[in-house]
Amino acid sequence: MLRPAGAWAHRAAGATSPRTGWLRSFVRRQQLGAASGAVILLMALVALLAPLVAPHDPLETSFLLMLRPPSPEFPLGTDAFGRDVLSRIIYGSRTALLVGFSTSFVGSSLGTVIGVASAHFGGKTDLLAQRVMDIFLSFPLIILAIAVVAVLGTGVLNVIVAITVPIVPRVARVVRSSALAVREMPYVEAARALGASHRRIILRHMLPNVMAPSLIMLTAYLGQAILLEASLSFLGLGVAEPVPAWGLMLRGAGTQFIERAPWLAIAPGLAISSTVIAFNLLGDSVRDALDPKLRVA
Amino acid sequence: MRRYIVQRILLTIPTLLGVATIIFVLMRVVPGDIVLLRYAGEGAFVTQETIVQERARLGLDQPLWRQFADWIWGAAQLDFGTSMWTGRPIVSEVALRFELSLQLAVMAVIIAALVAVPLGVLSAIKAGTSVDYLIRVFSILGLALPSFWVGIVLILLLLSVFHWSPPVTFTPLRVDLGENLSQLIWPALVVGYRYSAVATRMTRSAMLEVLREDYIRTARSKGLKESVVMVRHALRNALLPVITVFGLEFAFLLGGLVVTEQVFNLNGIGKLTVEAVVRRDYTMVQALVLLMASVFVLVNFLVDMAYAWLDPRIRFR
Repeated sequence: MLRPAGAWAHRAAGATSPRTGWLRSFVRRQQLGAASGAVILLMALVALLAPLVAPHDPLETSFLLMLRPPSPEFPLGTDAFGRDVLSRIIYGSRTALLVGFSTSFVGSSLGTVIGVASAHFGGKTDLLAQRVMDIFLSFPLIILAIAVVAVLGTGVLNVIVAITVPIVPRVARVVRSSALAVREMPYVEAARALGASHRRIILRHMLPNVMAPSLIMLTAYLGQAILLEASLSFLGLGVAEPVPAWGLMLRGAGTQFIERAPWLAIAPGLAISSTVIAFNLLGDSVRDALDPKLRVA
Repeated sequence: MRRYIVQRILLTIPTLLGVATIIFVLMRVVPGDIVLLRYAGEGAFVTQETIVQERARLGLDQPLWRQFADWIWGAAQLDFGTSMWTGRPIVSEVALRFELSLQLAVMAVIIAALVAVPLGVLSAIKAGTSVDYLIRVFSILGLALPSFWVGIVLILLLLSVFHWSPPVTFTPLRVDLGENLSQLIWPALVVGYRYSAVATRMTRSAMLEVLREDYIRTARSKGLKESVVMVRHALRNALLPVITVFGLEFAFLLGGLVVTEQVFNLNGIGKLTVEAVVRRDYTMVQALVLLMASVFVLVNFLVDMAYAWLDPRIRFR
């Protein structure tokens, strides 16, 4: 029987328990990645428990408390609306993680299905699908995202769509090349010979065996998606006020308030950077662990 | 070589056509249409007559195939119609801002090359040492730090150290070279740093690979100076993949321009794009997206040419 993790399950062979063995060997071999994973887990926990962790309401404005420097009551100061910066950063992690996970998950799933289907059907279908993907790849990531925002407008959901669209063709191309190899495997040929339906061959036989590149692409795009959301929000083309988002918090920080409130410029930037670093390092480790030969540009 | 160039040009044309088609489709899946959406966004009362007029002016009352043909034909002649915001021809609006963005891009590319190649080589030569480690951290940070934040922090530093803040007006190159460079060097550094990150990593790994080759050992054993071995024998061969990376990463340079122009208040193509989206100037957005995608396609074409020129094996494949 094929396990969902078919392509890389053999790596766990010999480990004590087949269920947790892969985790143990990952932690041992990829220490940096494991540490990043721990940081991300902590971050997810903070995001989940935001109402308990945050000292203030992130949306509560106050004209009396505008642009206050850091103090014991407001450890990171307050913004131009008198809102607590620390609380907004804590709640902002929800936006970042929501957008990051949903875009890279949906994007890599769609890309994987398209890539596998394209490889399976081959011929004209494959050619057409690949040409369309190539054309989408001619758009720089952020430019395509901006174009989608121009059509759909701003807001969390629209930003998720805008970031997912450019991820799909990038995943599809990488997964297709792996799927082409899987297509020639004896077990896929056997399934074809048995008269299995396209659906069955794709879902049951090919998909589980391209999980490694698919997972690699998913983790590779997590950090990028979070960075892209922050950039869009910073430009005013992403998440809209008053939703707490890190990129949005930096809007005006470099110009309007830079002399009066330099603290506004530091904390959100550190939050974005550390999150993206953690996700990038985790992504690199997952890639090294699953397939050292695959390069993700 | 000529046959290869012709082949590559012929491959570029359908790609550009496809890009224009996708933009056309994208702008037509707008709920309602762009005229309605634009006026709805303004909140003012608009008569039905104005809407019909505006639709006619933009050619939206024509059948779809006609609109598509006009769009492609216009784009081929660099005629994108007029801006829905200013009413002026889009080509002249873009031309006004093109110089600044082009100069910024060129400066960023130079900075990126000056950072990436020496650091990558040094990192490879000193592989495993603390120098290597530092350079790798530097390039990892380049990938992870949002360039708009690097820009903001840079402005903060410049402000507190030199009391310098981004000027309100831009001085063109022809007017005052010194003033112009002092304005653009900081944003160019920000964009160039991001651009150099992947290239540094690529230079390092390409150098490491090349340094293991037999001909390097041969060069050393015949008593050549180490610097000659590194530059003439190793670097020359390691640069090929680096050039490819520069082409692929050009997308990030364009993205970097969009964001950095906003931070440094530079009135270039990037800022124009953001403003066009905010103002719902759809004709402008579609022209700018097409422009940037075309530039990206063109740069990759040039990179392929450079690659073929540097590595004769490619052309004969």
